[in-house]
Amino acid sequence: MAAAAIQTVQLTRRFPSGTALDRLDLEVFPGEVLALLGPNGAGKTTTIRLLNGVLQPDSGSARVLGLDPAVDGHAIRQRTGVLTENAGLDDRLTARENLEVVARIRGLKPAVAHERVGELLERFDMGERADVAVQGASTGQRKRIALVRALLHDPELLFLDEPTSGLDPAATRDVIELISSLATEHGRTVVLCTHFLGEAGRLADRMAVLHRGTLRAAGRPAELAAEMWQGLPTDIELAAPADARVLGLLRPLDGVITAESTPTGLRVEVGHRDVIARVVRTLVDASVDVFAATPQPHTLEDVYFAIEAQLEIESIS
Amino acid sequence: MTDTPRDWNAIRAVIRKDVTAVRRSKAVVIPMLAVPFLLLVILPLLIGVAARSQGGGVGNFLDSVPAGLADPITDLPEDEQMIVLVNGYLLAPLFLIVPLMVSAVLAADAFAGEKERRTMETLLHLPISNRDLFVAKLLGAFIPAIAVSWVGFALFCVVTNAVAWGVMGRIFVPTRLWGVVIFWVAPAVAMLGLGVMVRVSVRARSTQEANQLGGAVVLPLIFLAVGQSTGLLLVDLPVAFAIGAVIWVLALWLTRRGARRFTRDEIATRI
Repeated sequence: MAAAAIQTVQLTRRFPSGTALDRLDLEVFPGEVLALLGPNGAGKTTTIRLLNGVLQPDSGSARVLGLDPAVDGHAIRQRTGVLTENAGLDDRLTARENLEVVARIRGLKPAVAHERVGELLERFDMGERADVAVQGASTGQRKRIALVRALLHDPELLFLDEPTSGLDPAATRDVIELISSLATEHGRTVVLCTHFLGEAGRLADRMAVLHRGTLRAAGRPAELAAEMWQGLPTDIELAAPADARVLGLLRPLDGVITAESTPTGLRVEVGHRDVIARVVRTLVDASVDVFAATPQPHTLEDVYFAIEAQLEIESIS
Repeated sequence: MTDTPRDWNAIRAVIRKDVTAVRRSKAVVIPMLAVPFLLLVILPLLIGVAARSQGGGVGNFLDSVPAGLADPITDLPEDEQMIVLVNGYLLAPLFLIVPLMVSAVLAADAFAGEKERRTMETLLHLPISNRDLFVAKLLGAFIPAIAVSWVGFALFCVVTNAVAWGVMGRIFVPTRLWGVVIFWVAPAVAMLGLGVMVRVSVRARSTQEANQLGGAVVLPLIFLAVGQSTGLLLVDLPVAFAIGAVIWVLALWLTRRGARRFTRDEIATRI
């Protein structure tokens, strides 16, 4: 496997108000999309700031694109693009002015900067607003300008904090497709902080859940799900909710972990995909009409909420 | 931390951004231009008109002023004394409010304002060193402060000489004292304003808060003006040079301390 694009070892940062990040161990590989999840105050923004050399760690270390952010922050920032949660645009300047400042700081010559900014604004449907003051722009428009800013220099590594918040459905779809293509077609590494779990589920190869500065889970959603749940939930659609006789037929079957009645039939949790066929056969043999059998693998959303629930229980106890 | 060479392109880009943004902000531009206009155009105009209509010497007042300042004025014809005393001498320290105020207002906008608008984090995530960002922010306030002061002073000279022409019959400002004030003391005072506001802005969460905290800076200047007009301070040329030098030392010390605290870590901790 290639060297990690990001690697942290026991990375810790404290503020007077408390520990924002506590002994974070994390790896992100090139071309991977990592969803960094957690409620507000979990430590996501602190993580990004530490990885981009904006904050210094109190202890632990990190390597980003082979460099130490505590020492080589400047060199790292030349190769990363950041979309902060707040668009961070100066309302008094136009979209083009906001972006050209960044392009100039990133070392683009004025003519190149002008051309690149124009090209990206057009691509994000912001061409018409390019020379209008940002004041008065909608949240979605601001977000798109900020996304252009993060992509101006074609960065190797992107930190995206809530990239689709405030966007309309069409713009959300476009941004999701863009992020997906950046990773899959252009090999860019993306760290995605988001509250939209559906979006994270569509984009992320792996997820990391932070809670009060501590990493509570990290891995592929399917792997994490396998650790949490034994089987594969499958919805079986019947003519009516399954009664005790039907459930009694299935529960003794080898490979069936649970069987519960649902308004549309029943839900079984099976140890393996092959068991579904056996379940259907058993029902048909018992003259029960089966209209559909749909496996429902645990999603990133299921995993996240299960972790949150666990944390809730821990905090209560 | 790896030391990076100074990046003037990045510095120029930030300065241009700050100056453009400020030019479009009425809340910043109006007070920034109104005070110099009042001090450097309206006030000398009124004094000139008053001197022309009333005339008269300022003998009693000059008795309480040190000889170094009083003598050149006492030697003048009586109807010229008031206008030369006020426009040629007493306004000079008052004029220092201009670079101080302008630099303080601009520094508050550049440092605390950036936090208030939540645009500072954007800058922190860019490849510009702490030092270059600090220099850019400093120059972005210093250069316009000096420009406003010098343009204001040019207007002051035109207005003062024009309005006093009937009495004086010659160009009498700038005097040598004004020269020292404009080219030596005013930049020092502008830097002092910056030094103070940089420190204040680290703690302030908004431009308004920074301006309120930094407002205390204007007081020493007012005291200086009052002090001179009552003859407490011997603001003749060597003293003006010395005062300028002291202000430069203080300003550079404050700025240097501000620069040391102007780190990404320090700023990001407070945004």
